[in-house]
Amino acid sequence: MKILVKMIGPFIYDAGFNEKDFEFSNPLSVEELLSELHLKQGRPKIIVRNGHGIGLKDQIADGDRIVIAPIYSGG
Amino acid sequence: MTGWTGNILRINLSSRSYKKETYDEAFAQKWVGGRGFSMKILWDELKPGTDPLGPDNKLIVSLGPIAGVPAPNTGKTVVAARSPLTGGYADGNLGSHVTSQLRKAGYDIVIFEGIFDKPGYVYIEDDKVTFFSAQEVWGKGTYATLDWLYAKYGRGAGILTIGQGGENKALFSVVRSLEGRAGGRPGIGAVMGSKLLKAIVVKGTKEIPMANPDEYKKLGATDLKKVGALDKESGWSKQGTDGILAWCNEVAALPVRNMRETHHKNAWMLDGERVDAARVATYGCPNCTMRCGITVLDKEGHESELDYENIGMLGSNLDIWDLAQVASLNYLCDEYGLDTISSGSVLGFYADAIDRGAIKGDFRWGDAERAKELMRLISHRDGEIGNLLADGTRKMAQQIGQNSGRYAMHVKGLEISAYNCKYIPGMALAFGVAPIGGHHKESWVISFELKQTSRDSYGREKAQKVIDLQRIRGGLFEFIVSCRFPWVELGWPLENYAIYFNKATGLNWALDDFWKVADRIYALMNGFWLREYPNWDRSMHYPPMCWFDPSNADKEGPIAGKILELAKYEKLLDEYHDIRGYDNRGIPTKRTFQALGLSEEMKQLEKYAALK
Ligand code: SF4
Repeated sequence: MKILVKMIGPFIYDAGFNEKDFEFSNPLSVEELLSELHLKQGRPKIIVRNGHGIGLKDQIADGDRIVIAPIYSGG
Repeated sequence: MTGWTGNILRINLSSRSYKKETYDEAFAQKWVGGRGFSMKILWDELKPGTDPLGPDNKLIVSLGPIAGVPAPNTGKTVVAARSPLTGGYADGNLGSHVTSQLRKAGYDIVIFEGIFDKPGYVYIEDDKVTFFSAQEVWGKGTYATLDWLYAKYGRGAGILTIGQGGENKALFSVVRSLEGRAGGRPGIGAVMGSKLLKAIVVKGTKEIPMANPDEYKKLGATDLKKVGALDKESGWSKQGTDGILAWCNEVAALPVRNMRETHHKNAWMLDGERVDAARVATYGCPNCTMRCGITVLDKEGHESELDYENIGMLGSNLDIWDLAQVASLNYLCDEYGLDTISSGSVLGFYADAIDRGAIKGDFRWGDAERAKELMRLISHRDGEIGNLLADGTRKMAQQIGQNSGRYAMHVKGLEISAYNCKYIPGMALAFGVAPIGGHHKESWVISFELKQTSRDSYGREKAQKVIDLQRIRGGLFEFIVSCRFPWVELGWPLENYAIYFNKATGLNWALDDFWKVADRIYALMNGFWLREYPNWDRSMHYPPMCWFDPSNADKEGPIAGKILELAKYEKLLDEYHDIRGYDNRGIPTKRTFQALGLSEEMKQLEKYAALK
């Protein structure tokens, strides 16, 4: 399963990349993806799949674009 | 009374006179400060129908009980007046040394009345007010004016000034201070210009009255350090608000070409990483340890301080993807004293109207050089085009006609900030019901909508969230007068603000007490609209109609084919009114006015319009 992960704001420096392709042999949930990414920051996140918010238990599908961002609250 | 100075400075520019007045504790506790003070004073002192650009409008500078005293991000000043852009109550806050200097001079409020006979500025030093000529800098931009005043009074002086935009009464002119600080989007700069008031300079030497000064100072200093450490740990100020651009692009909320589209392949060229990489300096407001003024060099080599709103509205909204060019437009806004959000919206609307054939003109999407020239025309009200654009999108649409009002991106006359809500119902509501017009500072619910609800829902929880955030953002932070970013971006607990307030005033308030003040202020802001416009109706709480137009839906991307639905929006608006205790026009009911302690104001309002 191939997905693209994009980091936003401070998570770019934490993860060490802006966006990157990942390949996983088994399907996984958002929670599992986060643990694979080993982010140091425990701050709350908002995860977006293909432009729409998803929860930690949601399953990721082949071809998804996953965006990991801090919880922005507007400028 | 401690915490508050209890003093108002009233300055009459026509007679070049001033007097010190006092306010009592009941007034202080009812309105707290900043927006609360300004709203109540403008309600009491302006006759309905007062010309916003005439001598009878009043310009208010107001602070709150924790303003200017070291504690996280307390260096903000509120400026307010009746807006020439919207016709309603208007205010804005900006980082400035005026905050601490005015409090040290012994005042929480300054009211400017009348009009100078020739351009001048006012110098307040403790109890003394002196009137000076500003002839030397009239016609000059804000940077030259600030330098001129710094040379006379030093960089620590509190200074507010306007540029050519304010002088020439461009309706979305702002007040400026420090490097890139600006506030008063709905034309407070134009009000200042109409009074021929080029600048306000303040210096004070007194102690700010505090109930527990030693404790407060210790706590404030410790908390400033803690917020600084939180910021470092989270990495927030590395990109500051500019980090939002990439996210808005991902969730299809970016303003692109007058908000026709919601995302763009070039968005990376303007994102937070690019801004951080181009950084040459960082500026911030006084009393701030999470400084967000990321400064880059513009195309011409000027320093230009960028935040997300500037980049979104002057960049993607105009189809301009060269960061240095966006920085140039931002610099010109600051130099001329024009609001960046409204400028981007006005230029976007102009390009859109030309593109759709509603008006003839030579401005095209992506034309940064022409945009710069248009900024000059606007700020100087030069010629037909300068005058047309200087009046803002609402009046432009009235002039252009041809149904262009459908894509004039404003609410109540104030241009919408950089969040494209074609398919974000709760945020569309937040803009729609914002009491000063289309401003994100009142309530911002996009994260909540995406994370905790379904994006396409129009449920009551969204109306409730808009209200919850209005109480905090448009309420607490605007009347206590403090920057919301420690809470917004770092999760600094709101309870801390109650602690600061209580230590300053000796009171024992809980957050619920603040929410009641917030609701009171919002009720009076809406009452102000009705007093000015007795035929007020609920359509004033609608966002632009193009957000409901299926032909305006994105053709591709995450929200392809999706658009807001008016019937559902109406229901959401009803929910909002119901929770707030407002009638279906969006005006507080009699019972609500009474419950908020506004019986007197209610009786005054009933002379002009019926209440339910
Ligand atoms: S976070 Fe930014 S806007 Fe807020 S006080 Fe600091 S510099 Fe000013």
